[in-house]
Amino acid sequence: MGQRRRTDVRSRVPCPSDTQPFSPHTHSSTETPPDTHTRSSSMSGCHGYLQSRKHSICMVSDFFYPNMGGVESHIYQLSQCLIEKGHKVVIATHAYGHRRGVRYLTNGLKVYYLPLQVMYNQSTATTCFHSLPLLRCVFLRERITVVHAHSSFSAMAHDALFHAKTMGLNTVFTDHSLFGFADLSSVLTNKLLTVTLCDTNHIVCVSYTSKENTVLRAALDPDIVSVIPNAVDPTDFTPDPSCRDESKITVVVVSRLVYRKGIDLLGGIIPELCAKHPDLCFLIGGEGPKRLVLEEVREKYQLHDRVRLLGALDHKDVRDVLVQGHIFLNTSLTEAFCMAIVEGASCGLQVVSTRVGGIPEVLPDELVTLCEPTVSSLCVGLEKVIAKQRAGEVPSPASIHRQVQTLYTWRNVAERTEKVYDHACGQPVLPLPTRLRRLRSHCGAVAGSIFSFVAVIDFLFLLLLQWLWPDDLMDVALDATGPAGHYQQGFGKEESKDLNAARCAVADTRQLKC
Amino acid sequence: MAENEEFTDIRGKPIKLSCQDYSPFCREFTVSSAKLSLVRVMVFTCIVWLLAYAAFYLTQNTAVLSSAIFVTLCGMLLHVHFMKVDHETLLVVGSLGVQLSSTYASGRESTSFIEMSRIKDIVINEAIYMQTIIYYLCILLKDPAEPEGVGSVVPLFQSSKPRLNCLVRVYKSCQEILGQTERS
Repeated sequence: MGQRRRTDVRSRVPCPSDTQPFSPHTHSSTETPPDTHTRSSSMSGCHGYLQSRKHSICMVSDFFYPNMGGVESHIYQLSQCLIEKGHKVVIATHAYGHRRGVRYLTNGLKVYYLPLQVMYNQSTATTCFHSLPLLRCVFLRERITVVHAHSSFSAMAHDALFHAKTMGLNTVFTDHSLFGFADLSSVLTNKLLTVTLCDTNHIVCVSYTSKENTVLRAALDPDIVSVIPNAVDPTDFTPDPSCRDESKITVVVVSRLVYRKGIDLLGGIIPELCAKHPDLCFLIGGEGPKRLVLEEVREKYQLHDRVRLLGALDHKDVRDVLVQGHIFLNTSLTEAFCMAIVEGASCGLQVVSTRVGGIPEVLPDELVTLCEPTVSSLCVGLEKVIAKQRAGEVPSPASIHRQVQTLYTWRNVAERTEKVYDHACGQPVLPLPTRLRRLRSHCGAVAGSIFSFVAVIDFLFLLLLQWLWPDDLMDVALDATGPAGHYQQGFGKEESKDLNAARCAVADTRQLKC
Repeated sequence: MAENEEFTDIRGKPIKLSCQDYSPFCREFTVSSAKLSLVRVMVFTCIVWLLAYAAFYLTQNTAVLSSAIFVTLCGMLLHVHFMKVDHETLLVVGSLGVQLSSTYASGRESTSFIEMSRIKDIVINEAIYMQTIIYYLCILLKDPAEPEGVGSVVPLFQSSKPRLNCLVRVYKSCQEILGQTERS
């Protein structure tokens, strides 16, 4: 994951001078009385938002821009669509190098880069307590009603779920990955997940297979787990038949070259098909330990001119590789929700894939040819598609693109997530004794007792913080987005609302001192 | 004419904001925090002296006692001279510039002046301060290399740290003057 910093000059700094009509009187009315307990104050804030059917959402994850990856773009796109629907969204993540403090992205999306210590692989150290003061401050000043945590690899997400429950807020969690049950690291992560999810109001998974996996890992009631698939940006993946070489048939493979992506299968398919079809060539993008297998095959069968290995690809280059091919091949052995085949189909390619994990759920039957994860089955499937391609029976790339572009859109994801928030907000927050009982009954005797102890300490720490730094001393932040958002009033209007146009535009001028 | 208003700082302690209008183009804001409290001085001195007596009891060395007297006196002087700020003043003169001065408890005064040509704007910003997130008022300075960009930021009222409602009050009056300057 290359850390890239994209700064966009187009985004203007939302200086309070021209955007935020400050009015001290509106603030005094929204402030809570001095002696009110946190729970009641947060509930009263919740009611205010519930009356307008809008939520005040805080997305928490260790992973956000400038770090690049699937979770990061998921959070960003989902937040943008929720803002468009009139909700208030803020994002809390840890500081990346000098990027710490408060920043604004496109359409007034506010990001808190909190100075928490990073431990391993961009994930913060978890002590269960040290993040409470800052997260409490964010939740209180933004009058958060729903805390939405992302990714089970993120320690900050787990911490936030725990603290949010201590503070009496509703929580939602999105799981982005499949996990094993056997090795030590998954056993430990699964235990942590059991503890943090045991009183989470609602959980979102990306496919039914992923839901099954999460329910088993975290010992959950399947009724509180929803499935909302990921989405792709159809405008990023458009077909362009002119890039193809029509004198031959090109098969494109874009994946990391690792065991679980089935590269060994690919190594078996290549010589068999190349022997049968002299005009077939392979274009392989991606890097990994299994590259050796492919190089070996290429060497052994003298296929240097027909099998091209492109090495690691940037996400922005993927489309340019995809449009060069006729057929997209995916040989994964396990997959939660395969984004690659949606991207391939969106570029107008014929898709051949293995029938594993959540893949059969992803595309309708006429757009994908599913095979068993064996060399022979995949060869049969590919030959069928090659024959169709030769006969000219395949639909045109443009028509495939038209069919795919409506399947997975971020607006649809946002709509469904909104329903999850409505549902979560309607549920009561467990008081401490019930919560402790639940922890002990759900998470086993030992881990349950340990974490009930941690929950009690967390609660006492919160009381201490409330005494040291009472809630009424914390200034309520002005809403940039949401029902009373100041960002759109006369400022954001001239800016295009297109999400792609100004993605990751960071107001860099807000230099903040810690 | 001067108006006095009561506000609180981010810790909940009362502070006083007084606005002095000299002319439509010239306004002075003074934020005064509470005076050095006698109780706190006494408590601090008592702690140091008790510790010194404990050390004296163990070591039987009178140098400990004399150094305790020295420490309390020096500590008090340093605190009064460099740490404790009584007043912070922001004087905005349209078309001329902004003068910032802070008066320490000892009477020492430190003043700096920023001419109008270097000032881009005065805004309210957010920052993470210790374990909390606060609003503060700051002056944005122009970058000499890039006239459109922001070179650096000068935070105002750094030691008194007023809350948002007080900052909004100062911000609005400052913008009135800056707006008049821009128009003319």
